[in-house]
Amino acid sequence: MAARGRCPECGSESLVEDAHYAQQQLVCAACGCVVSEGLLTTTYTDEEHLREVAYSQSTGQKEQQSRCLQRGIRRVQDLCKALQLPAVFEETAVSYFQRALQLPAFHLVSLEKKELLGGCCVLVTCRQHRWPLTMGSVCSLLYAKQELFASVYLSLQQELGLSVPALSMAELVTTHLDSFQLFQPTANIPAAFLEDKEKLLARTMGLVELASEAWLVTGRHPVPIVTAAAFLAWQSLRPSPRLSCPLARFCRLAGLDLPPPAHLRLKELLEILLGMASQLSWLRAFRLDKKTVVKHLGELLQHRLFLLKRAFSQQQQEDMAPSSDSPCQRSPSSAVPQQQGRPSAGKQQQQQHGGTLRPLLPPCLIHPRKRPRAPSAPAVPITGNEPISDSEIEQYLRSPEEMQAFRKAKGWP
Amino acid sequence: FKDDFSTSPHLFTPMSPYDLELPIQGASQLSQSKELCTDFSSVDLSFLPDVTQDNKEQNLSEDGHEAQKELDGSLPSKDSGVFMDESSLSHPGAALASPEAPDVCPPLTPMTPVTPATTPSESSGIVPQLQNIVSTVNLACKLDLKNIALHARNAEYNPKRFAAVIMRIREPRTTALIFSSGKMVCTGAKSEEQSRLAARKYARVVQKLGFPAKFLDFKIQNMVGSCDVRFPIRLEGLVLTHQQFSSYEPELFPGLVYRMVKPRIVLLIFVSGKVVLTGAKDRSEIYEAFENIYPILRGFKKPS
Repeated sequence: MAARGRCPECGSESLVEDAHYAQQQLVCAACGCVVSEGLLTTTYTDEEHLREVAYSQSTGQKEQQSRCLQRGIRRVQDLCKALQLPAVFEETAVSYFQRALQLPAFHLVSLEKKELLGGCCVLVTCRQHRWPLTMGSVCSLLYAKQELFASVYLSLQQELGLSVPALSMAELVTTHLDSFQLFQPTANIPAAFLEDKEKLLARTMGLVELASEAWLVTGRHPVPIVTAAAFLAWQSLRPSPRLSCPLARFCRLAGLDLPPPAHLRLKELLEILLGMASQLSWLRAFRLDKKTVVKHLGELLQHRLFLLKRAFSQQQQEDMAPSSDSPCQRSPSSAVPQQQGRPSAGKQQQQQHGGTLRPLLPPCLIHPRKRPRAPSAPAVPITGNEPISDSEIEQYLRSPEEMQAFRKAKGWP
Repeated sequence: FKDDFSTSPHLFTPMSPYDLELPIQGASQLSQSKELCTDFSSVDLSFLPDVTQDNKEQNLSEDGHEAQKELDGSLPSKDSGVFMDESSLSHPGAALASPEAPDVCPPLTPMTPVTPATTPSESSGIVPQLQNIVSTVNLACKLDLKNIALHARNAEYNPKRFAAVIMRIREPRTTALIFSSGKMVCTGAKSEEQSRLAARKYARVVQKLGFPAKFLDFKIQNMVGSCDVRFPIRLEGLVLTHQQFSSYEPELFPGLVYRMVKPRIVLLIFVSGKVVLTGAKDRSEIYEAFENIYPILRGFKKPS
C-alpha cells in the first residue's frame, strides 16, 4: 500500500512500505531512495511486548518433512534394501510415497495403512520396471493382511492414476527358481534330485507358456502355476528316480512354499499334456497316464503349438485342416479322458471329424460349477404402482401372542 | 453384400463357424450356426423396429427369397435365417431351429419391453440382464427400531452390529435397511419397477406399525447387470491395450476391472466371458456400456 508523503530526492508521491530483511522501510518506488526505516534494535519495553514467532508460522515448518513422512520414507528404503532392489527403484518408490501421502485419501488413515502404502509404492515401482515382486512376498515382509493390502494397493492405483503393468510370468519363473535349493548338493537331498538350473529354467518356462496358451493362467494366482510347472519340469528331466516323489516332498526339499492351488494346477497341466500326447503317433502306443506322460515332456514341449491345435477342438473352423489330418484324429487311447466339452462346439467337431475332442477353453467353462441361469422374465410386467393388499402386509406383522413370546425370549420387560 | 457381413457376426454366437476373414463361407454357415433362444412365443417383440434394408440382406439362406418376404415387417432382425416352413415364419414369435439344441437359452429376452439404445443391426444381440437394483427412499418420520423389530416378523435388529433394522419381504424378493432417521435402502430387486413396489411395501409395513411414514424422494442409486459373451477372453491382452481403463490383478481377483468413462460404469470381465456391469443409475447406461465393450472383447477372442 502506498504511503503518503513525497520523496525528498525526486519528489514523486509513490512511496511504498517494504521490508529489508526484518526491518521496515519506506522506499520511493521511482528512485529507490529510502525515506525512512525502522529500528534495528529493540528497547526493553519493546521486547516485553513482543511475542515469539510460533513454529507453525515460521517458514521452517514447510521445509521440514513431517515425522510421519520421514518414517514412511525410511520404511520404503528399508524395504528396498531388504529386497535388494536397484537404487533407482528406491528413488521412484520414495517419490510415489511422498506424492501419495499428500493426498487426503492417504494422509488421514491409520498408521497401519500408511505402512502398507510404503509397500504398495515399492510394488508399483517393481511392476513398472518388470521386476517380478509378488504381493504375497510384500505382505509377508510387512506382516500385512492381504485384504487390507489389496485395498490400499487398489486405492493407490486409482488416486495417483498409475497404470501398473501386469506381473510378467517369465521374470516370475526366473525369480521363483532362484530360491531353489536343488541346484547345490546338500546333506538331505539325494544325488538323483539335483538339477541344473538352466535346463530346469528353460523347461519350466516352456511349461508355463503352454499353461498360458491352454487358459490355465488367466484369472489365476500366478505362483501355484509356477510351482506346479517347476515340479513337472524337474520330474521330466530325470524321470526314473523322481517320479515317485510327490509334490509336497519336492517343495520341502527345494525350499519352496507349497500353495494349496498347486495340486489343482498340476492336475490341469497333466490333463493338457495327456491330451497333447494322444496326438503324437509314436506316443499313442504307450497308453500314457498322468504318471508316465512326464517322461515325454520334452517332446511335447517341443511341438507344443502344433499339438495344442490338434489335440483340442478349435472355435474357428478354419483351423481344422481337411482330410489329410483325419487319420490323426481318431479316438485316442482309452486312458485319456476326453469326453468333456461344451455341447455345441464339441459336437460340431465330432460331426465333422469323427473324433472326441475337448475344446481349448478355460477350466471354469469346461467344468461349470453353477447351473446356467435361465432368464426369468416376469409373466406380467409390473409398473411399481400396483395396489398393495392389506393381507399381504399383515402377514409380516406379529400377533400379540407372538410378541409376548418374543419379548420374553429377548428378556425385555 | 460384403459390407453387411461386418455387422452380422454380432447376431450370432462366436461359436459359429462364420468368420470375418472368410467371406466365402457364406449363407450356408449363417443358417447352421444359430444358438439363439428357441422360444420367442411368450415375449412381445412388437416394440422392435421393422426390419430395415440392411437386415434383410443379412438374413440369407439357401431358401433366401421366400424367407425375405416373410421378414418384411413381421420378424425383428434378431431372428436369423433358418426357415423351416412359412407357417412358422408368419408368427412373430417364430421358433428358430438350431441344430445343436442348446442347453442354455441365452439372455436375449429383455426383462421388460424396452427399446434398445442402438439399432439392432449394429448391436451384439446380447442384452445384459439386471440382477440387482439398489434404491433409497425417505419415510420422513423418526422410527423406533426396537419397536419395529418387536412387531414385525420379517425384521432383524442387532444394534451392536449395525444400527438399522434389516427387513425382508417375499414378493418381490428384496431386503431393506431401515434407519431410525426414517431413511430406507431397498436392495435385491431385479427391475426398477420391482424396486419401487418393494419400497412401497416396506413403507406400508412401517405405516401399519403405527408410524406416519411417507414415500418421498424414491431414487435408484445403483443398478447391476450381467451377461455372457459366450467366448473366453484373454484378460492379459486386454489389460495391455486398455491399460488406462483396466486393472487386472490375478493375485487379488480373478476378473479384470474395467472402468469405462462414458458411460461411467464399472465392468468386471472374467476369463469365462461373463461380464458384470455396475454403477449405473439408469438401465440404458448398462446397455450402452455393454455395447461399447462388446467389440473390444471380440478383439480378444482368441482363435487358437
